[in-house]
Amino acid sequence: MAASATAADAGGQQAVQLAPAPLLEISDLRVTFRARGAQIYAVQGISYTVEPGQTLAIIGESGSGKTVSAQAVMGLLPGSARVSGSVKFKGEELVGRSQQDLRSHRGRSFAMVFQYPERSLNPTMRIGAQITEAIRTHVQIGKNEAHDRAVDLLKMVRLPAPARRFYEYPHQLSGGMRQRVVIAIALACGPQVLFADEATTALDVTTQAQIMDLLLELQQQTGTALVMISHDLGLAATYAEDVMVMYAGKIVERAPTKELFAGVRMPYTQALLDAIPRIELEPHVLLPVIGGRPPDLASIPQGCPFAPRCPGVQEDCRTDAPTLKQHEAGRWWACWHPLGKGTQQ
Amino acid sequence: MSLPAANILTTASVAPAAELAGPAAGRRWVRNLEIAIPATVLVLLLFFCFIWPMVYPVPKPVGGSLTTVNLPLWSKGHIFGTDIVGNDVMSRILYGGRVSFEVAAGVQAIGLAVGGLIGLVAAYRGGWTDAVLMRILDIFIAFPSLVLVLAIADSLGPSETHVIWALSAFSIPAFARVARAAALQLRDRPFVVAARLSGTRAWRIMFQHLVPNMLPQLLTFSMLGASLTIILEGALDFLGYGIPQPTASWGNMIASGESFISVYPRYVVVPSIFLLGTAIALNMLGDGLRARWDVR
Repeated sequence: MAASATAADAGGQQAVQLAPAPLLEISDLRVTFRARGAQIYAVQGISYTVEPGQTLAIIGESGSGKTVSAQAVMGLLPGSARVSGSVKFKGEELVGRSQQDLRSHRGRSFAMVFQYPERSLNPTMRIGAQITEAIRTHVQIGKNEAHDRAVDLLKMVRLPAPARRFYEYPHQLSGGMRQRVVIAIALACGPQVLFADEATTALDVTTQAQIMDLLLELQQQTGTALVMISHDLGLAATYAEDVMVMYAGKIVERAPTKELFAGVRMPYTQALLDAIPRIELEPHVLLPVIGGRPPDLASIPQGCPFAPRCPGVQEDCRTDAPTLKQHEAGRWWACWHPLGKGTQQ
Repeated sequence: MSLPAANILTTASVAPAAELAGPAAGRRWVRNLEIAIPATVLVLLLFFCFIWPMVYPVPKPVGGSLTTVNLPLWSKGHIFGTDIVGNDVMSRILYGGRVSFEVAAGVQAIGLAVGGLIGLVAAYRGGWTDAVLMRILDIFIAFPSLVLVLAIADSLGPSETHVIWALSAFSIPAFARVARAAALQLRDRPFVVAARLSGTRAWRIMFQHLVPNMLPQLLTFSMLGASLTIILEGALDFLGYGIPQPTASWGNMIASGESFISVYPRYVVVPSIFLLGTAIALNMLGDGLRARWDVR
């Protein structure tokens, strides 16, 4: 695990002083939806960078903007969404580019694994055809060569009997096997950033661990950066080098995983951790929950978005919104009154 | 003490068997019949209309002899009798059925291809393309369909191809709506987004990922559409805007028999039964397939 520790350090270093050209650089990304006359501020100015080979986890509850921000990065949002800010892939600006321009990046620069393996595959196409389609979109190769590559990919994601599975339909596979196929499709063109949007949420725990191990192993083989989007703090703690916590369309805390779990600064992250059921708890006690509800994204509240639910809320939290700032090496948080020994401001 | 155990055992072993042979199996049997009966009727009709006249010396549907005018039902050599000019009614039913099925197939094929494509493109492109295409089709739908069809058929003049063109004017917008709804449902499914995300071209996404998944909905709809087409074709013939007389068609037979309806009702009743039966069979088949494929 020494390798991952140094990698985490490297990630921290680059967060301090930006390296020459980060793989993916997102700055002040904002996404607004127009729905029935109201504006929904789904993502409210987030900035982060992803380095080659890094494993970053984006954590947040439903509606916190984690999926929308990833979709905005890849230009997948519908026309009703307004995206502003900047997304740079190896220095190349992607926001505002046409779908036609983005096509060359899709699959090669970044790829995505979705939550529901049963819905991520076309039920009317053979598995092999779906993989070769992804390969042949970007690489000019013949059918036979594409077939061989597809079988290799299926071997790589450790699907049993890949040569036979190539000719099967999605309904003939189990959920875990389907997700392996989805991963094979995502990796078909060697993407440099792989987004895994709740990739293991629909699977049972054993399969979940197998798929995560597979993703990490493939990541080490190929050097792909992995951005995992999840609501599962445990998953992030086990597999990610860096963790970013989102709340109400903003990043509220970012830190290397080990340091984050050693001492949380942002009260929201703490509240999330407290809400995890623990085996040590007395039987029949109420589970700790976060009181109240996430703010309505149709209006940007004055002050900290978490203030109405925060146990340590103070007067200034309600009037001024704290911004995400780096307070310690590699540790960022947006809070006026952080927990632990954080510097007060 | 052994009694309850035995009870449990028997109930446990009996229950699944009862379920298999019981109402569930019965319902499945009924469901199969819902498809099997209309399908058999249609296959028989198609066989007798298209293949039977090629293997059996069926009399000509036109140019009958004046010596055999107005024979009653069940006459020798003329099961359904002969009409007022001496043509064999059975033969006219068979050749008229050809017209009905050809028109129905043609209209559905055009609707499926053109309307399906319009709906697919409208749903996939969205925005302005969608709005403009669908508003144009709304104009067609807003017209009373028979009036529109009459206007087109009248301006083109009576012929079988022209009937197909005229009736397509209402099958195209209908198919476009169904196709658009089906494509909209599929467009944001993860596998389509995934294909988009891996850089697949738009036409490939449409024809490889959307169309095969839309087919159940479109094919069920085409069954219902075909039954409506056959009835409308009959109406056009009846009004004199369809297949020109004396060519055999069910609508023409009803039209020419209408003057004698009080004296010889069989001239109207026989073709009407075939027209109605075919329409009902197509409708039933459409409904049965819809239930089988779980299409809403």
